[in-house]
Amino acid sequence: MAIVVGSRRTRWLGRALVYAALSLLSLLFLFPLLWVLGLSFKTRMQTFADPPLFLWWPTIENYVDVFGRSDFGLAFLNTLIVSGSAVGLSLCVGVPAAYAFARFPFRGRSFLFFALLVMRMLPPIAVLVPMYVLFSKLGLTTTRFSVVLAYSTFSLPLVVWIMRGFFEDLPAELEESAWIDGANRFTAFRLIVLPLAKPGMVAASILCLQLAWNDFLFAAVLTNNASQTLPVKMMTFSAGDSGVDWGGVTASGMLVILPVIIFSFLAQRHLVAGLSSGAVKG
Amino acid sequence: MADASTILAKPPLAATAPARRRPLALDRYFVTLTVLPTFVVMVAIFGLPLLFSLYLSFTGWSPNQALLGGAFVGFDNYADLFADPVFIGSIGITFGYTTAAVSAQLAAGLGIALLLNVDLPYMRAFRTALVVPMMITPIVGALCWKLLLDPSHGVVNYWLGQKIIWLGQPDTAMLAVWLVNVWQSTPYVALILLAGLRSLPSEPREAAAIDGASRWQMFLHITLPLLKPYLLVALLLRTIFEFRAFDNIYAMTGGGPANATMVLSMFTYLASFVRFDFALGAAASWMMLLMSMLICLFFIAVIRRRDAN
Repeated sequence: MAIVVGSRRTRWLGRALVYAALSLLSLLFLFPLLWVLGLSFKTRMQTFADPPLFLWWPTIENYVDVFGRSDFGLAFLNTLIVSGSAVGLSLCVGVPAAYAFARFPFRGRSFLFFALLVMRMLPPIAVLVPMYVLFSKLGLTTTRFSVVLAYSTFSLPLVVWIMRGFFEDLPAELEESAWIDGANRFTAFRLIVLPLAKPGMVAASILCLQLAWNDFLFAAVLTNNASQTLPVKMMTFSAGDSGVDWGGVTASGMLVILPVIIFSFLAQRHLVAGLSSGAVKG
Repeated sequence: MADASTILAKPPLAATAPARRRPLALDRYFVTLTVLPTFVVMVAIFGLPLLFSLYLSFTGWSPNQALLGGAFVGFDNYADLFADPVFIGSIGITFGYTTAAVSAQLAAGLGIALLLNVDLPYMRAFRTALVVPMMITPIVGALCWKLLLDPSHGVVNYWLGQKIIWLGQPDTAMLAVWLVNVWQSTPYVALILLAGLRSLPSEPREAAAIDGASRWQMFLHITLPLLKPYLLVALLLRTIFEFRAFDNIYAMTGGGPANATMVLSMFTYLASFVRFDFALGAAASWMMLLMSMLICLFFIAVIRRRDAN
């Protein structure tokens, strides 16, 4: 239901008002990021200039400085490994289950699905406290593996949730004819259903990857210098001995969000579907 | 929740597939084999930790003890919690913060969704620009704002021509944290509501237009009621996510000043990972669990009642 702006006389004014309001809002929403992007290209002197500089000769010294620290590259690699593994694990484990949830009534199905919803909804800190204690006694804390497991608490429910909806929308006739032709359930799932489910799996992975990439709490508690992820690494720039390192915070912050922004734009149409899926369908 | 109806609508597939060939023995275990891994992972990373934290909350466990070595102390941890004015305060702060944040997000999100729903050229560009705060890493967004609000070098104070210590005073700290949250999460609400607006049928509006309803009347009596399911979903999701708020507050204030922004997540974090009182942290996290379960149940009841009508 798109609104077409009213009568001919007021149409011009209405359009102008809508554009003006949206431009103002966009400016408001983007300003903090743009300003910090600008800061990241300023020298220390320029950052603290009073009044603030709106025009200056940009420098990349902050970025050189951040990249110069070898552990920033390590943190980047860690984030990539940890979020990738969490998504991979959730897909391997969750997609077959989502298929069963969508197609086969079984005892405890509603309960299990409800438990998954609860898993997604509950505060992460509540899982993190016992998880940390258990992992520390098992010698797992500070390993990347512990973070992968922690991330699965949100990525697994999300995968099952999105994929169940996706499988429900797929017509069942294709698998049924494969069954009639003598394929067993596993073969039909592997050869017929999975290839069809690729777009859903892409959407689910994108959302999970974004959540995992953006996580701070789990990684902050469960990692050390060797295994820390980008958002944790970035926080260390703001909590140094000499106060906030403006160059470090701004440059590393921009580097942390650059992949997410690119990624999100590539996947924009999947975002809403994933954010509200399940909730609307019930 | 729609399970009962879907089962009724579609007969189980196993029954419709003709048994021309004897299915492989393995097929009988298909559901078990596909669901079991998920079940095992859920138990391992969710069920067991929660049970363990319930156990912890009734012990005087300290980190140098064996996993199950804590002495049973009954409800002492919970009694300690409720005797702690900071914890009691954090309950109020969490609910107040959640309410203020979610209502602002809904109001602003509805406004933005309505604007974006106008059929004009270049709307995609605006939509793209407006959802950026939602996509970026929350902790980075919060730190950006922290620099903007810096008392001596921040651009906000420069424009205001004052030296306000935003994050150093209880009132302004809360205001700042709330503002950053609204900035980050309004796009989320706007996207859900925009999807809702796009899916609404156009007939009721056309009929009302023919009957001479004003635009405001149409909005109030047609669009808004039709949009209600989407508003409810946004309300539910945002309430649940704001209730667990942590990243912004950690990055901006750390719960201070004078515990003014001490939400429950922050309290639990500090108790567990700064003071290493895991037993108290476990008790606090179970209180959080119970509260968020209550919130969920309340919303589910509301949605059910609406569906029943």
